[in-house]
Amino acid sequence: MPIEIPKDKWPGSVKKVTLGATTAEGGTRSRSVTVGGQTTLPYLLFEAPTPNKPVVAIEIKSHKPDDWSPLLGEVWGDAMNDPAQWAKKAEEAGADIIVLALTLADSPEDAVKAVKSVLGATGLPLIVWGPGQAEKDNDLLVPIAEATKGEKIMLGICEDKNYRTIVATAMANGHVVQARTPMDVNLAKQLNILITDMGLPADRVIMDPTTGALGYGIEYGYSVMERLRLAALQGDGMTQLPMLVTPGFEAWKAKESKVGEGVPEAWGDWKARAIHWETLTAMALVESGADIIVLRHPESVKRVKDAVEELVAA
Amino acid sequence: MQHTVTFTHNDKRSSISVPTGTMLTEAAQLAGIEIGQPCGGQGRCGRCAVLVTEGDARRRSTLRLSRSDVDEGYALACQTVVEGDVSILVPPQEKIERRLTTDRVVAEVTVPVDYDYDQHQTIHRVYLELTPPSMEDQTDDWARLQTALRIQAGIPEVLCSLHLLQTLGKPLREGEWNVTAVVEKNLEFPERPVRLIEVFPGRVDDYSPIWGCAIDIGTTTVSLWLVDLVSGQVKAQVAEYNGQIARGEDVISRIIYSGKAGGEQEMRQRVLDTINGLLETACKRVKAKPEDVMKATIAGNSTMIHLLLGIPASSIRLSPFITAVNHPPVMIAKEVGINIHHEGRVDCLPGVASYVGADITAGVLSSGLETSENVSLFIDVGTNGEIVLGNRDWLVTCACSAGPAFEGAGVANGMRATQGAIEEVWINSDSLEPTYRVIGGGKPKGICGSGLIALLSEAFLTGVIDKAGNVNLMAATSRVREGAHGGEYVLVWGAESESGEDIVITRVDVDNLLRAKAAIYAGFSILADTVGVPLEMTDRVLVGGSFGKYINVEKAVQIGLLPDMDWSRFEFLGNTSVKGAYAALLDWRMRDRITEIAKRMTYVELSADNSFYDAFTSALFLPHTDMSRFPSVAEALAKSN
Repeated sequence: MPIEIPKDKWPGSVKKVTLGATTAEGGTRSRSVTVGGQTTLPYLLFEAPTPNKPVVAIEIKSHKPDDWSPLLGEVWGDAMNDPAQWAKKAEEAGADIIVLALTLADSPEDAVKAVKSVLGATGLPLIVWGPGQAEKDNDLLVPIAEATKGEKIMLGICEDKNYRTIVATAMANGHVVQARTPMDVNLAKQLNILITDMGLPADRVIMDPTTGALGYGIEYGYSVMERLRLAALQGDGMTQLPMLVTPGFEAWKAKESKVGEGVPEAWGDWKARAIHWETLTAMALVESGADIIVLRHPESVKRVKDAVEELVAA
Repeated sequence: MQHTVTFTHNDKRSSISVPTGTMLTEAAQLAGIEIGQPCGGQGRCGRCAVLVTEGDARRRSTLRLSRSDVDEGYALACQTVVEGDVSILVPPQEKIERRLTTDRVVAEVTVPVDYDYDQHQTIHRVYLELTPPSMEDQTDDWARLQTALRIQAGIPEVLCSLHLLQTLGKPLREGEWNVTAVVEKNLEFPERPVRLIEVFPGRVDDYSPIWGCAIDIGTTTVSLWLVDLVSGQVKAQVAEYNGQIARGEDVISRIIYSGKAGGEQEMRQRVLDTINGLLETACKRVKAKPEDVMKATIAGNSTMIHLLLGIPASSIRLSPFITAVNHPPVMIAKEVGINIHHEGRVDCLPGVASYVGADITAGVLSSGLETSENVSLFIDVGTNGEIVLGNRDWLVTCACSAGPAFEGAGVANGMRATQGAIEEVWINSDSLEPTYRVIGGGKPKGICGSGLIALLSEAFLTGVIDKAGNVNLMAATSRVREGAHGGEYVLVWGAESESGEDIVITRVDVDNLLRAKAAIYAGFSILADTVGVPLEMTDRVLVGGSFGKYINVEKAVQIGLLPDMDWSRFEFLGNTSVKGAYAALLDWRMRDRITEIAKRMTYVELSADNSFYDAFTSALFLPHTDMSRFPSVAEALAKSN
């Protein structure tokens, strides 16, 4: 007897957001990346294909970080001293997008220089994160936004207490913003309302709902993302935005990836474990609907990309 | 084409010729007449209402005016266009304020129509003419009084304290065996003997007052009404912050403090000091003494009652959240520590549970919710927000911790709704300059609850703060600035304030107000969900709280404190808890009803699942994350942009 699989038809869909502008589009990128556009829950391919598969971004920093795991230092090597070199290596490792994270030590001039050098080194779309202090973020991101007018980079990170300046400069210079909220459906929606209230179109906003690493609250992050996506599909306009997640940052904070010594022997090989941790964190988030996955280790990039291919082809 | 506009203002007439399409406000200005436009001429505030007495003018918007106002000829000067010769009467401002459809003034306290002192009061005076003792009649004083009470007043048995016995001889002799006895029937057990409270020499005027007091012990505010039990009239109303505030703003921190060594005694003393201070003030107003007050009826949340009585309250805080006593027996005032008459009794009204106290059972009584056929929602906006939904057949209730912000506490320039408090605010959407009204009309000292609601709403609608409550530091006014705790808006410059300091609302204040309103909104929306009654199905929304005499419901809706529904369905009841205590003080039947209400109420525990938290965070926004719940606010926003 043939069994008919019931199919859901949702009233809402996720908006498409494009990062990066090619020469034809007024920028200098060799290609742009579009995410979003889903009309059903992740990978229910019998209901609808995945219009834009999740993409991987690799996080690099303007200065060599001193708090990163030596395992990452091992694989990126000297390139970590030069953002342009690092970006190039990240592109080779399979990145679809580069995330350049600035530091508190950067002056506005340094920051603009670093951004320009990364844009010169690769043709990939770019996400730029301020160091995470409201005032400093605004000081750095405004000149960057102006210096890269038309490139359609993504500026981060907007939070509910500090979004006006970043949104204003993104509006003026044709960029996209990243809206971060601490793992809560309502807060995510509220920030999107605040940002779009300023006049920035919703298709230039990407949500960062925050998450925890495997073993550090990922279930909570997962269910928040799931609820956001359900609300989007049910037609709630202020949740219909693609989502960016940072499993690289989260997983490399976890003791399991960070520490090689003084842990139970049963934990096995450090390097293998660390990469598993990042990969598994990332894949759980992919399953919950993430669109941009920010990673740190090239091996994780490879695995996540492979897994995504399988998911969208199944 | 030119038209003649004739204004009558302060009994003076002036005419001006203006072209078609001129706004009435412009014409008035040309004629040298000042029509106040607190909202900046946007038709939002209704303060520029004028009366068109002759001719035609086109009203672009009549928001704020009722249908009958328009029929009478009222128009908003800032929204009305001259299209022919017209005559305009500019009424005095006070007259306008009374007409505005959104202001809800607390209902006057009136003596219940059926109050009959003889039948409903438990305390009575009886005049007795005793047979003077003689060599032949050797009856003792006490028996002599008992006999007179039995024969002349029909009181077969009477109880008497040692103290009264010790002092009985004096009034009997002073009055030459003519005395007025004050007796009280047993409230709890009516079949038991009455109790002698006082014996006055001679005849006391039947119409002179017998004093009683109704007290509401709020977490933040204590209110006391001094009542003449004979006429039933409230003769003085006083209120003061609860002295316990210094030891914690909410019930939980009070309970924790009272658990420390000496804490229980200190908390008890603090609230007693507040009550006794209020008693003193109220009595002075009517030229009486606290000792003249014969009875006190008290409402308050369960924690406040425990702390007043010095009963350990820790079990209220700890699972399974049980009180030591929901309905304390009638007690001797002196033992409780309240300085009324030494024979006076204190009657603490019954509560339901740890977080639904006598304040809410008394509130339900005074709201009339439990007698109406239609389902109503009763919201008591206090430090502990208490909500009741129901009708004469069923009552469900819940409580949520809102904090003291709406009582003006925990806010930088907050204050109670007394002389000098700003109670209404308008902000001009172009200049961002405020207009405000001060209780008593003098220099402002601070902002009370209704003023804070108005300020929050105006700041939001004019973009001074965003929907998350962030102060917009880019706003084009020097009134917005970076303060010690983030952005702030200066409502009153120091030069115009009572203290000489600026009166501001800070980011922290806004956060406190947002949390308070979100807790209350989440409370009633979850309660309505739980019983499956959509909010729009409720017939009336009854709002209680210590806002002073007035609340602007439109603004309370705009900040998302009250649900967005037809304004005519809101009623503002003021302090319902003290009103309920007043009803119970007067009339033993009302006291019995409160006991009945307490038994009928079903308590819904909001912390049982996650839905409250979710509803709370979504309400932590102006007016709400889900804008579709607030269509009138969406409209107002679209208009002001």
